[in-house]
Amino acid sequence: MDPGQLIETNLPPIPAPIWFVQLFKVLGFTLHAVPMNLWYAGILIALVLYVRGGEHGQTFGRRLMTQMPIILAYGINLGIVPLLFVQVAYAQPFYSATILMAWHWLMIIALLIPAYYGVYLYSFGLRSDGPGLTAFRRAAGWVAAVLLVVIGWLFVNGMSLMVNPHAWPELWKRADFYGATLGTGSNIADATLWPRWLLMLGLAIGTTAVWLLFDAAWFASAESDQYRSWSLTLSWKLYTASMVWFAVAGTLYVITGWQSFKQMFGFPTVLLTLLTALAPGLPWLLLFRQVRAGQFPSRGVAALIALAQLGVLGVNAISRQVLQNIELKPHFDVLARQTATQYGPLAMFLIAFLLGAGVMTWMIWQIVRPGQPAAES
Amino acid sequence: MHYPWWYVPVITSPMLIAAIAVLHVLVAHYAVGGGFFLALETTYAYRTNDREYLAYLRKHAQFFILLTVVFGAITGVGIWWTIGLASPLATELLIRTFVFGWATEWVFFVLEITAAFVFFYYWGRLQPRTHIAMGWIYAWAAWISLVLITGITAFMLHPGDWLQKRTFWAGFFNPQFIPQMLARTGGAFLLSSLYVYLHASITCTSERLTNLVEQRSTRPALLGAVLILVGGAGWYINLPDSAVEAMFSASALNVFVGLIFVATGLVFVLLYLGPFRNPGWIRSPGFAVALLALGMIGFGTSEFIREAVRKPYVVYNVVFGNQVYAEQSELQRLRDGGYLEGGVWTRQYVRHNFPQVVVGAMQQEGGSSGGHIDRQRLLELPPEDRVKLGGVLFQYHCNDCHAIARGGYSAAGPLIQGWSRAMVRDLIDNLHTARFVMPPWCGTPEEAELLADYLMSIAPPRPAGMEPAPTMQPAQRQADYRQLSGEAQLCGEAQSGAAQ
Ligand code: HEC
Ligand code: HEM
Repeated sequence: MDPGQLIETNLPPIPAPIWFVQLFKVLGFTLHAVPMNLWYAGILIALVLYVRGGEHGQTFGRRLMTQMPIILAYGINLGIVPLLFVQVAYAQPFYSATILMAWHWLMIIALLIPAYYGVYLYSFGLRSDGPGLTAFRRAAGWVAAVLLVVIGWLFVNGMSLMVNPHAWPELWKRADFYGATLGTGSNIADATLWPRWLLMLGLAIGTTAVWLLFDAAWFASAESDQYRSWSLTLSWKLYTASMVWFAVAGTLYVITGWQSFKQMFGFPTVLLTLLTALAPGLPWLLLFRQVRAGQFPSRGVAALIALAQLGVLGVNAISRQVLQNIELKPHFDVLARQTATQYGPLAMFLIAFLLGAGVMTWMIWQIVRPGQPAAES
Repeated sequence: MHYPWWYVPVITSPMLIAAIAVLHVLVAHYAVGGGFFLALETTYAYRTNDREYLAYLRKHAQFFILLTVVFGAITGVGIWWTIGLASPLATELLIRTFVFGWATEWVFFVLEITAAFVFFYYWGRLQPRTHIAMGWIYAWAAWISLVLITGITAFMLHPGDWLQKRTFWAGFFNPQFIPQMLARTGGAFLLSSLYVYLHASITCTSERLTNLVEQRSTRPALLGAVLILVGGAGWYINLPDSAVEAMFSASALNVFVGLIFVATGLVFVLLYLGPFRNPGWIRSPGFAVALLALGMIGFGTSEFIREAVRKPYVVYNVVFGNQVYAEQSELQRLRDGGYLEGGVWTRQYVRHNFPQVVVGAMQQEGGSSGGHIDRQRLLELPPEDRVKLGGVLFQYHCNDCHAIARGGYSAAGPLIQGWSRAMVRDLIDNLHTARFVMPPWCGTPEEAELLADYLMSIAPPRPAGMEPAPTMQPAQRQADYRQLSGEAQLCGEAQSGAAQ
């Protein structure tokens, strides 16, 4: 069966130019990725360090896990942006793929609720006025960590199935019920699945490493200097490990997905590909400079390193987008979609966005302006 | 027509939407009303310098965040998940039409989260004025997000001028918008008062405090009740006729409407008996639980009805439940070319599994392309294949509203128990006239034959031993069947003859 025939191509126009849709999809995903990375790999790292990392490890575990409910709230919220825009322009492959794996896809919601409460249980256990970190709360934290890694895997599964229509006929056939699907499919036969999953996990370790340092520089004024210098060393070690991980997983990803990756190596796309591969080098170098000087970075430098890591995630998001379009192109040419822009509603959104940014700034100013103590933990 | 259909045994996949939506509204309305409660009451507590009340409100804020930011938010995303899976064409249309409404709603979500966290985590560390401001920012942001989503859900029930104008604004400001907004706002106030009663009855230790909470929350509850009545009346007046009729013609919905009235009535009576006449009652969690449970029943069933009265549409006059655009041209296309041929996935299914019914296809590597499904050849298939393809038609044309066998949601088999094949065939031809809650039949007569074969295969027989026996015996039914399918064959021949 030609999988391309499973995608309707006679489509109505989309309500915004495709560049706008992609811009918000990529921007939204980049911003989703930051907090997502922190719970994807960060929770596991924090839990391990809390048990095994000595005094400072415990400090970091406590810090990250008390921040985690908030990180989760924003991360999930930011996931809505790419989710909305992927459905605007990529509805056909997106719905078809997720329907074929409907139960797995729906599982994300079913697992996310207990994971989220697990994080809260652990986090409230750490509060100074709280009940203490009982065995139950500890277990809840571990369960949450595992569930979130599973959820990440389910996302990779869905996003990779969406761009792999060749897998659809077989999944459809295996869960066929009178031409309908039982929705029990999974993109497990796709060789790119595991490398893709590992790739994001590698990035997540890197983001966690940078957060460790950034948090120590910006928010940990109550902690000791020893904690800060410990955090620099660990941040650098973790980041180095994540870079190796990223390189290995990335290579595997390119090899397993060579059919489509070929085009990522043509000119000028190859520049983007190279940039994506080399991007983690920048935060690493900046970290390395501090380690060699044996000096904990100033807030400015810590912010610079964080910005560099944001850049890593941003470049990754752009590459993913380019690759997604390449993979879909034989069956579904998203760049060729017609548009009928809804200018009025678009303006409403942009105005709300600007006003919202203003109100956000005001609220954040209220808590960071001098004289305001930190949030209780 | 554009997507694979997701078969969920027993309950059908769209029922998952209803289930998650019901869970969600029970918390989402509290997320709005509770915001006003917290903002209003912290303002009051600061003004009266009531430390005890402030301490209570802080506890309430924690409970509120744990429930709304986690369960409320994730079930909300969950609705999105399920509508995309179980009603993809309608979801695609809604997103295409209202993407900027949702994007704007998202901006208010961000404000909500931020205000809620600052309000709770910085309790006691902000100037009272700033603290109160956070509460109000939360409340209004939450309310605006309610208004924005209401425009979209109301559109599904009554698109109003959108059918002609096809613009965002025409769709958003539809006839159901204001009524539903009022009713939902009222619902938010009422429901959050019920949550407050329950929370206070469990956590408050002092009698003064319970009395205070109760006294302060009763008026919003009554205001909410009034808004629900006003909005509900507007909702009813602006319902399309089909929705009114659907509500009173479907027996299950009748029960539900009754349930709403009983539950809502009881809530009113209990509000009167409790907070008004016997203020002490509210201190007993049992009473508060009963009140909240009744409120939830009323709310849950309203939400369910909201989903159900739209039948046969998902979006009134725009998309049918079976994922077909409700347009004459689309109907004609499917009736001429066939339902199986007209659907992207069904077309491939037939090509792949029954290549013998496809004519004019070009053989290629990995399969065939082009050509079309020949109506006549469908009828020439052996009986088991006819049933099989009839089953495909059932999945893609009926399963969004009907499960298959006994015990399933509105299961088709039991609905036609003991029917003759002629009756079934007749029903298919007259689907939307037999029951206006059903979409029109969108296939060819030959496809109707296959579907009838399938339906007969899933119908339980008439219970044995009932006297007098039906006039039409199974043998006769069989004859009936042959005759009808023979007629259809003739009809098909005549048509293909005409085409040549
Ligand atoms: C949009 C929803 C919807 C779709 C699609 C739908 N139906 Fe129905 N159908 C209903 C409802 C609602 C009833 C009333 C059920 C009741 O009263 O319990 C009904 C009733 C029936 C009945 C009983 C009729 C009677 O006279 O008692 C049969 C048989 C039936 N449907 C078959 C089908 C078949 C076959 C299809 C597909 C071709 C189909 N329906 C598609 C909603 C639908
Ligand atoms: C329910 C809230 C969430 C929403 C709405 C959401 C949304 C999204 C979307 C739309 C994408 C694809 C972006 C794109 O390709 O343009 C994505 C990617 C991803 N999300 Fe989330 N997300 C949510 C929660 C989570 C959670 C809890 C995890 C757990 C780790 C997670 C992990 C991931 C991963 C790993 C990817 C990358 C998948 C890949 O393409 O390989 N997300 N998310």
